[in-house]
Amino acid sequence: MIKLKAVLALTLGCLLTLSVQAVEVRDHHKEVIGKDCKTCHDNGIKQFPSDQSCLQCHDVDDLAEQTARNEEDKWQNPHNNLHYGKELPCQECHGEHQPKQPMCNNCHTFKFDKHKQ
Amino acid sequence: MKDANLLGRRNFIKGMGAAAGVAIAAPAMAISEKADGVKWDKEVEVLIIGSGFAGLAAAIEASRKGAKDVHIFEKMSYFGGNSAINGGLFAAPGTPMQKQEGVKDSVDRMVADQMKSGRGVADEALLRHVAEHAVEALQMTMDAGSEFHPYLQQLGGHSVARTYQTTVSCGAGITQPLLNECRKLGVHTHNRAKFEGFLVGDKGEIVGVKMRENYHFGEDQPGKISHIRAKRGVIMATGGFAQNINLRMAQDPTLTAEVGCTNAPGATGEGMYEMFRLGAIPVHLAHIQSGPWASPDEGGFGYVSNYTIYNFPHSLAIHRLTGKRFMNEIADRKTRADAELSCRDEKGEALPPILITSYKDSKKHPNTKKVIKYNVGWKFDTIEELAKHFEVPLKPLKAQIEEYNSYVKSGDDKQFGKNMTKAKDKFIEAPFTVVRLWPKVHYCQGGVQITTKAEVKDSFTGQPISGLYAAGEVCGGIHGVSRLGSCSIPECMVMGMTAARSVMQA
Ligand SMILES: Cc1cc2nc3c(=O)[nH]c(=O)nc-3n(C[C@H](O)[C@H](O)[C@H](O)COP(=O)(O)OP(=O)(O)OC[C@H]3O[C@@H](n4cnc5c(N)ncnc54)[C@H](O)[C@@H]3O)c2cc1C
Repeated sequence: MIKLKAVLALTLGCLLTLSVQAVEVRDHHKEVIGKDCKTCHDNGIKQFPSDQSCLQCHDVDDLAEQTARNEEDKWQNPHNNLHYGKELPCQECHGEHQPKQPMCNNCHTFKFDKHKQ
Repeated sequence: MKDANLLGRRNFIKGMGAAAGVAIAAPAMAISEKADGVKWDKEVEVLIIGSGFAGLAAAIEASRKGAKDVHIFEKMSYFGGNSAINGGLFAAPGTPMQKQEGVKDSVDRMVADQMKSGRGVADEALLRHVAEHAVEALQMTMDAGSEFHPYLQQLGGHSVARTYQTTVSCGAGITQPLLNECRKLGVHTHNRAKFEGFLVGDKGEIVGVKMRENYHFGEDQPGKISHIRAKRGVIMATGGFAQNINLRMAQDPTLTAEVGCTNAPGATGEGMYEMFRLGAIPVHLAHIQSGPWASPDEGGFGYVSNYTIYNFPHSLAIHRLTGKRFMNEIADRKTRADAELSCRDEKGEALPPILITSYKDSKKHPNTKKVIKYNVGWKFDTIEELAKHFEVPLKPLKAQIEEYNSYVKSGDDKQFGKNMTKAKDKFIEAPFTVVRLWPKVHYCQGGVQITTKAEVKDSFTGQPISGLYAAGEVCGGIHGVSRLGSCSIPECMVMGMTAARSVMQA
């Protein structure tokens, strides 16, 4: 029990520093994250980034190509999917300061091996 | 606890997650106010809230009727609501495909089927209005680019085959083209914009709304309130409340967090409750429908639902304890959901029944491959294997299949009186495909009362509340106790179009 509390305290401690430090910085984000928060937080530091924010550097068409699936499963491409096309805002599935589940999990059992939670 | 075990840890946790999300998202502050002295941040011509079938159809029709400045506001980050994850099944009477297939149908017949499943309390005038305009709505989807399977389906409770389905077997095959059409017509679409209350004029008329912009659903970020004036009127197309566990339990205490749900997370109902606060008439709120075609092996609607909807007419549903059928596989939804819920083991614990289909017949549906591939359904080469896997007593099961096959031959189901037309020549033979069945909360029949012009009626005067229109699942009473499958798309689209016509005439 005591052990558990310690772990909890530790995690809580970490959470406090999350606002400045991403949980697990993706390699390609090392350049920007932690240096200039406004690069992503275009709506202000205490606000979530806008839906366009990630698109300053990432191109939806490229992402869709990278995650393309074969003809039979083509609509399971998270970046170009059946329900929302290419319009699903990045923040639905990706977070830098908190782990997130792929949205498809709400209803489907698909596997996304590369998805960083 | 029973249901928790049944649904498995994964789904149970998911249910709890959704509940927690709603708790954070639910604002205590939403309330309508007098518009006196309000500083308007924006003015629009037609203001639509919600981006499902009803909202999109309203926006297109308003534009076609000459509106120049139409705006859709959607609280989620993505557009489409339940409509974008819907099964894409669309019922209409007197369609070109019915003529082609020689199916005799009419507005009267479709209304009669719906009145029957509504169990005497459906709104005949509204059902008739929708059935009369359903082909027009179907045409709107086709004009926007929707494509449909080249066959009709006969769904549970329908006396004839009258249901189209998009080629992608999903409502997105309609919402995506409609959203594109909206943009082509110059409709303004705003995401992360949450309706929080009406602004009411001197005579009680609706003059605008309070909108929370930069809103992040389920997250702790306040966003910002703006006051938007609607010159012609406000159309509420905010859908149902199946995801709001508190509200649905207030109506039906059995629908706890442990019961699965097929709806999109945004189906939380605050738009509807705000209309009640204004004076709208609540109808049939406790009639909340569960889908009898859902599977406990995946979340939401998943892949199994459309698979079973297609396959029920030529399949048998088996109680695993007895090895026998326990329902008419194409009875209406309530009849089947109740029958499934009664499938329990000796201790009374839930025991999801199974649906057995011949692979030769099931494979015609595009989902069959996926159901097997994603482990939410199974294929068996022999009846022995199947029986062993689900612990069904073999002898009675074999006898039941034999008996059922005799009904396929004679066209007369002596056990449950199932209409065997669609089962003709489809004998139950190996290899088999099998899925597990268990109902999920699916559709809210209740909502605000409207007229056939999509006007929202006031509880005290019985008159329409000026400037306020509603369309789609947020409205109540139309279907009565139980809605027939594939009858929501025509309703949402027709009433969305109707609301737009009324707004443009007002
Ligand atoms: C999985 C599934 C499958 C289905 N399959 C079929 C089928 O095959 N055929 C059929 O006829 N019916 C089907 N139904 C029923 C049908 O899809 C719904 O009844 C229909 O989509 C409702 O449409 P709507 O436009 O009224 O609402 P929705 O499509 O739910 O749209 C309402 C929108 O309003 C938004 N909203 C809610 N509150 C607010 C607010 N305060 N501010 C701003 N926006 C708000 C929501 O986020 C949502 O996007 C299905 C339903 C589900 C869930």
